[in-house]
Amino acid sequence: MLIPHPLLGPRDAQEFTYLGDAALLNRPEGGDEAAFHAYTHLRDNPAGPHRELWYHEQGDRSWLVVTRDTATHEIVAAELAMDVKGAAR
Amino acid sequence: MADPTLAATPRLIPLCALGGEIPRQTSFGALTLIERPDVALASLAPRGGMATPAPFGLTLPQPGRCASAGDMTALWSGPGQWMIAADGQADTDFAAAVQAQAPGASVTDQTDGWVWIDIASAARGAPLDRLLEKLVNLPPAALQPGRAARTGLHHLGVFVMRQGADRLAVLGMRSAAGSLWHALTQAAQRLETRP
Amino acid sequence: MTRIPGGLVDRSRTLSFTFDGTRYEGHPGDTLASALMANGVRLVGRSFKYHRPRGIFSAGSEEPNALVTLRSGARAEPNTRATCVELYDGLAATSQNRWPCLDFDALAVNDIASPFLAAGFYYKTFMWPKPFWEKLYEPLIRRAAGLGALGRDPDPDAYDKGFLHCDLLVIGGGAAGLAAALTAGRAGASVILADEDFRLGGRLLMESHLLDDGPAAAWVAAAEADLDTMPNVRILRRTTVFGSYDHGIFGAIERVGDHLPRPETVRQTLWRITARHSILAAGATERHIPFADNDRPGILLGGALRAYVNRWGVTPQARDSDRVAIFTDNDDGHRTAADLVARGVPVLAVIDPRRDARRFGEYQLFSGATVTGSTGRRSLTSIEITRDGRSDVLECAVLGVSGGWNPNVHLASHHRGRPQWSQAHQAFLPPADLPPGMAVAGAAAGHGSPHAALRSGAQTAARLLDCSAALLPHAEDAPLCQLPLWHVPGRGRAWVDFQSDVTVKDIALAHRENMRSVEHLKRWTTLGMATDQGKTANVTALGVMAELTGASVAQTGTTVFRPPYTPVALAALGGGDSGMTFRPTRLTPTHGFAVAHGARLVEAGQWMRAQMFPRAGETHWRDTVDREVMAVRAGVGLCDVTTLGKIDVQGADAGAFLDRIYCNAMASLRVGKVRYGLMLREDGFAYDDGTCARLADTHYVVTTTTANAGLVYSRMEFARQCLWPDLDVQLISTTDAWAQIAVAGPKSRALLERVVDGFDMSNAAVPFMSCAALTVCGGVRARLFRISFSGELAYEIAVPARYGNALMARLADLGQDLGVTPYGTEALSVLRIEKGHAAAAELNGQTTAQMVGMGRMVSTRKDSIGAVMSRRKGLVSDTRRLVGLRAIDPAARIPAGAHLFAQGAARVTATDQGWVTSACWSPHLKTPIALGFLADGAERMGETIVAANPLEGDEVTLTVTSPHFIDPEGDRLRG
Repeated sequence: MLIPHPLLGPRDAQEFTYLGDAALLNRPEGGDEAAFHAYTHLRDNPAGPHRELWYHEQGDRSWLVVTRDTATHEIVAAELAMDVKGAAR
Repeated sequence: MADPTLAATPRLIPLCALGGEIPRQTSFGALTLIERPDVALASLAPRGGMATPAPFGLTLPQPGRCASAGDMTALWSGPGQWMIAADGQADTDFAAAVQAQAPGASVTDQTDGWVWIDIASAARGAPLDRLLEKLVNLPPAALQPGRAARTGLHHLGVFVMRQGADRLAVLGMRSAAGSLWHALTQAAQRLETRP
Repeated sequence: MTRIPGGLVDRSRTLSFTFDGTRYEGHPGDTLASALMANGVRLVGRSFKYHRPRGIFSAGSEEPNALVTLRSGARAEPNTRATCVELYDGLAATSQNRWPCLDFDALAVNDIASPFLAAGFYYKTFMWPKPFWEKLYEPLIRRAAGLGALGRDPDPDAYDKGFLHCDLLVIGGGAAGLAAALTAGRAGASVILADEDFRLGGRLLMESHLLDDGPAAAWVAAAEADLDTMPNVRILRRTTVFGSYDHGIFGAIERVGDHLPRPETVRQTLWRITARHSILAAGATERHIPFADNDRPGILLGGALRAYVNRWGVTPQARDSDRVAIFTDNDDGHRTAADLVARGVPVLAVIDPRRDARRFGEYQLFSGATVTGSTGRRSLTSIEITRDGRSDVLECAVLGVSGGWNPNVHLASHHRGRPQWSQAHQAFLPPADLPPGMAVAGAAAGHGSPHAALRSGAQTAARLLDCSAALLPHAEDAPLCQLPLWHVPGRGRAWVDFQSDVTVKDIALAHRENMRSVEHLKRWTTLGMATDQGKTANVTALGVMAELTGASVAQTGTTVFRPPYTPVALAALGGGDSGMTFRPTRLTPTHGFAVAHGARLVEAGQWMRAQMFPRAGETHWRDTVDREVMAVRAGVGLCDVTTLGKIDVQGADAGAFLDRIYCNAMASLRVGKVRYGLMLREDGFAYDDGTCARLADTHYVVTTTTANAGLVYSRMEFARQCLWPDLDVQLISTTDAWAQIAVAGPKSRALLERVVDGFDMSNAAVPFMSCAALTVCGGVRARLFRISFSGELAYEIAVPARYGNALMARLADLGQDLGVTPYGTEALSVLRIEKGHAAAAELNGQTTAQMVGMGRMVSTRKDSIGAVMSRRKGLVSDTRRLVGLRAIDPAARIPAGAHLFAQGAARVTATDQGWVTSACWSPHLKTPIALGFLADGAERMGETIVAANPLEGDEVTLTVTSPHFIDPEGDRLRG
């Protein structure tokens, strides 16, 4: 696969490592165990568009939020995770 | 037995990343590979709210690029981070010099974190392009002069910096210098045998 | 000899080769198959299941029969298709799947037993009794399975890999591919043209067509010369594009040195090609028509027969006088007959089931007839022709069979697109849902005539790149008329899949046994599951199955294709990553010192570390380790600890950031101090530990374990970028930049005083858990950390990596009177077990801070990764604690990984009370000791328990102690 890096253009997926659901960006505040349980263990597993985290390990070390269709591998968006978090604020 | 009270001990002899006291150099056809232990390196990351500094008059380059002025080179290493390199200054406290040029920025000594290998071609760019296609998976645009890419090479994370059509530098982690040298020279040797 | 004039072989030069030890001659331009044919060799192999005599069946990579072992010794490669092997001088090939020899094969008795070896034979037979499996069935199946045998020696050849990028990848260099490459090349696009053959041209080389009134081969040569002048076009000959992957990535194998007696450099290159667009112009593969005994040597595909005559100037006859017949259900067979006649090959007859078939030349035509049988023990001697119920026997030595052409759609369906049946083409065409960026042209898209193939190639490239199509030569555009005949009904065995030995009867049996889906048919009969993946069999089988079910071929459906298109050597897929390049090797800065001092090295991940430094007279590894340990406890030792990860953390919020990374507090650490830190995963389990030093107000250095250096760094970047991007913090690894040496033992201060440049090393100036910047040996920048892994007074000193080796040598030199001793990872491990420090075996991802006795370190006054989940009831209620374990019998051995039980308890899971994590002989205590996790461990000091290792049947009785076997109060390290 090719990951369309927002700063560097398409780069081979071999340069990246994969973490999973981008919901990991939304770490709960406070000490609610149930919220952390959901954050840590519960994931959607959609057949279709999925926002997920990729790390450009053999590259610029940026974490990306990649929107990928898990059924076709089509990638419709890739953003810097830092920008995604910034926009959420 | 050494005399522990000896006041003037001899200086420590530094080793190059490839293990020798003098840098390695070898040629295959048009290609020459040279280990560069003399290049000093420091990372520079402006802190929050800082204006982008211009150390030693260098304009810090855009993502995927490098820029040189005299003996100084700056290359983009990641969002908000650059590597500053200076020929011939490895034995100085280069990080301190960079810090003085960018007060308040985060600066880290990287000189001995890397092995720096220059590869030059005596037959313009083509042999370098043929060499690179056996080493890194990057589109030709990312390997044009003025471009610097951080990528994988034989399972190693490296910088590939194309300073000119006929020359480039490969930086890899110092501890794996032998593996990197082996990968580069083996590819260059095969290219010489079968251009 | 059955050479005829003409063809594209260089008859001015002769190449010598052997087959089964017999010497033959061929010419440059020959394949092994054409050269064997030229020498009248007709029997080349034995079939997989029945060991039937088999000959050359095709002229390309679809070959099911002519599989040989090429070369010998360590270079022997089994199952090589003779039709694809480019002849070189000295080539040596041997036949396969026969014993003792090709002419007489003992296992040919399988053929007589064939009624018992029908479809599903394996599934039905090797079911019971169960004990027979290991002893009888498996060895039996293994012996009979496979064709050639792999050599046992390591492959002496080299392989490599490479990466190419282009606007357009053209797969196949025939009419369509050349037209596409010319179009794209002239438009200035970057083009890669890959073809599996050693000569561009594809089918154009094998036909008698004229292009612009000249031979097709001449046009091919001109096109090739034209492409060679374009710097933007790269031609990869001998290169098979074997797989189409996501986002325009293709895998290709270039056979760099296979056509040479020995490769000059690498044998094969694995190319990973990233293409914006691709054109699949892979041509088509001919079908055959199954009839009784249709597998005899001498029976081959009609198009292949024509190819051998036209391209290689050779026929499969044994003698010039041998007669040739053609069995065809379409016009293409007549084209073969006409070409043969034109080249002076005696065509006896063309048998065509179509009643309205017409002749293309001067030969006898049997229209409305079929071939219903054949004879010939080791090769064809006669065929039986049946027309209107009347049979005749015709003596002939060669039969070309032509059942129509299947487009080579394989790569087009690698993304699971299903090929679509076309009634007009009587064939499967590429799927509508092609891989993104791909288009199909030429015969692969059903455009089989030279005119249609050329135009389709040019127009497809023009459409993809939005440019104008190249000018093309005039060429024939005859329609292909066909009445599909999927098989000739009758008694006897009619082969469908030659390589897997699947017959029409097998398909019928599978159908009777209710294998209705094509996927079931495939697996029950093994159809299409041999190394050729059924290239000449699959569609024919579908046609047979459709007939049996009364459905159309479209309704019957088809299986899809997966990579690789043709077999790929595993070594090539490895891309040369073996030996030195299997993975990078990392050397410590003091590697030279270690080697010079006779260190035994050990792999620690990618690192090579000194495991121990044996001395003369030490006969057992423990002699060495015990000596090194005691030297540290009594004097001073030196150990390279550079491999521990180092991460530079800077920024206004560096302290706040580290407070969230570590479960314990770091913001409160004073400048010049060091603190032990424990990192948790978000689920509350411990995952890494190390020290954290505060060099300046906004500058920390974090150390990690060797194994987790990369992981901790990526997780810290995750925290920085994904969780708390508002914090002002910058990270960079400095693991390699600093050589770090542990100087440990009661005399460590005395030794270091000899290298520091006037630095006050007193306990007051450099207390336990402090750090400082200084210079050593006359001006070398250094960092000093007073930390201890051994439990002794100890320091770690760091210098720029280039000085590491010299500093180590200097310390070893200056400390001789102090008994300085370099020690390796084994002694390091014993020292830390004696001290009760946790390491990877204790922090294995299944343990918590509480279990390692650090439960109170998890701060409740701040948020940190894993803090909330570490307070889960299930984790908090876990009573297992890290304890020390001491063998009662000093001669005993404590196995690491053994499970702990109360004395007298049953050795079952229900009574399991924990496990041994680390064990060693303690030279200090003169007894075996261990660390382990034990239920209610904190309350069981002094209790006697048992460590059981049921795998090896041994047990040892232990006393539970504090994990701190030495100096539990810590006086030594504070001294």
